[in-house]
Amino acid sequence: MAAGKQVFAIVKKDVLAELRTKEMVIAMLLFVILAMVVFSQAFGVILNDLDRVGGGLLWVAFLFMSMLGLNRSFVHEKDEGCLEGLLMSPIDRPLIFFGKMLGNLLFLSIVELFAVPIFFVLFRLELGASMAGIFLATIFLSNVGIASVGTLLSTISINTKTRDLMLPILFLPVIIPLLIAAVSATGGIMSGEELTEVYRSMRFIAVYDIIFLLVAYALYDYVISE
Amino acid sequence: MPKQMAELLKHEKQSPTGAQTEIEVAGLSKYFGKRKVLTKISFELEKGGFLSLFGPNGAGKTTLVKILSTLVAPSEGTVSVAGLDPYKNSAAIRAKIGLISHSPLLYLDLSAEENLKFYGAMYGVDNLDARIDELLEQVELDHRRYDLVRTFSKGMTQRLAIARALLHRPSVLFLDEPHTGLDPHAVDIFESLLDTIRQDHTFVMITHNIERGLALCSKAMILYNGQIAFYQNKADLDKDMFNEIYRQKVKGEH
Repeated sequence: MAAGKQVFAIVKKDVLAELRTKEMVIAMLLFVILAMVVFSQAFGVILNDLDRVGGGLLWVAFLFMSMLGLNRSFVHEKDEGCLEGLLMSPIDRPLIFFGKMLGNLLFLSIVELFAVPIFFVLFRLELGASMAGIFLATIFLSNVGIASVGTLLSTISINTKTRDLMLPILFLPVIIPLLIAAVSATGGIMSGEELTEVYRSMRFIAVYDIIFLLVAYALYDYVISE
Repeated sequence: MPKQMAELLKHEKQSPTGAQTEIEVAGLSKYFGKRKVLTKISFELEKGGFLSLFGPNGAGKTTLVKILSTLVAPSEGTVSVAGLDPYKNSAAIRAKIGLISHSPLLYLDLSAEENLKFYGAMYGVDNLDARIDELLEQVELDHRRYDLVRTFSKGMTQRLAIARALLHRPSVLFLDEPHTGLDPHAVDIFESLLDTIRQDHTFVMITHNIERGLALCSKAMILYNGQIAFYQNKADLDKDMFNEIYRQKVKGEH
């Protein structure tokens, strides 16, 4: 119960700070829209099978957009020594991870909720109502993995001098398996592939999420402590 | 809770004066890579004691306080706070300690009340709303409780930092240059708050202010190059020796 309150307090604090500054969500949204406009202009007229490559373009935009946000997620904690204040409280370290991860997941999901319809309009793609649920579920599952890995690695990178550079260097190699599965699932849905293939990719993403949530739970005390 | 109490009683220790020892440091060293920041530091502080820690920048004062407050692990030696090992009972110790540093440890984009509510949730403070009312009144910020910390002056921010540090009723307080940036009014509020809680708390204060440091302390220590250059009870304090060592080590006069 106390753990739940502590996690909720961290999420609430991040949401309140974001509502006041609007620096993370607005920057992420602008970036992802600009990236999709660039992609639509660069590839929209020359690719005939956009429903096949659309998944790849979508996830490239989402991945870079998420790095932009994840890099910012610990900035408030470093300001005025707040991370020190948080670490001096008797909260279990993994709960700090879950609080920060849920905040990042929320911000990613909000941005993508606006970005996905824009993507479909820009690339003139269509999706039936029955497939839209599976499509959004795939995106949400992938977001859990991105937020888990990103929160863990941004905790590591925040204490380095080159933190803006360090996060992509650490994040991209680790996220590649999830990226491949997410592209395969969303591409499959857009091109009307057999759902068994899509579900296989979704299962892979779910397993990836569980593994990295457990890894973060086990390592976070060590990662955040010194 | 009974298990924690038993643990506390098991580790309870008396100083030579008969007072219960609150902080005990023995043979403490700290390395950052090859750089040695603290070397074989040993001292004891009784419950209700007040240690004023002096020394030049880079002497290892902040590292020592970070080790005592569980933020940094020691490389060698043992540390005990309230009878507990910070690295075996870190959560239990963190519930008993508070830190007032020159950084306020406050979120600038949250209001005074939101900051205190956040830290109250982290510490599981009972009757949080009443405690926040009481503290905001004590630090004379009740009229600014809904304002963002970003809009506060340095003195007001530091007063709110004092409220944050006292929120969970810690028994040990670490003060890292707490007077830095305070206006005279804030210093008065801070010192009157210190007077109010003096009896029930143990203090370790880093300061460059000799007059205030010596007036408040029960023990004085000068750290230099990570080693203890001076350490005496206030009752036995040789002020000439203190001033001589302070002048040599801190001001670099010979």
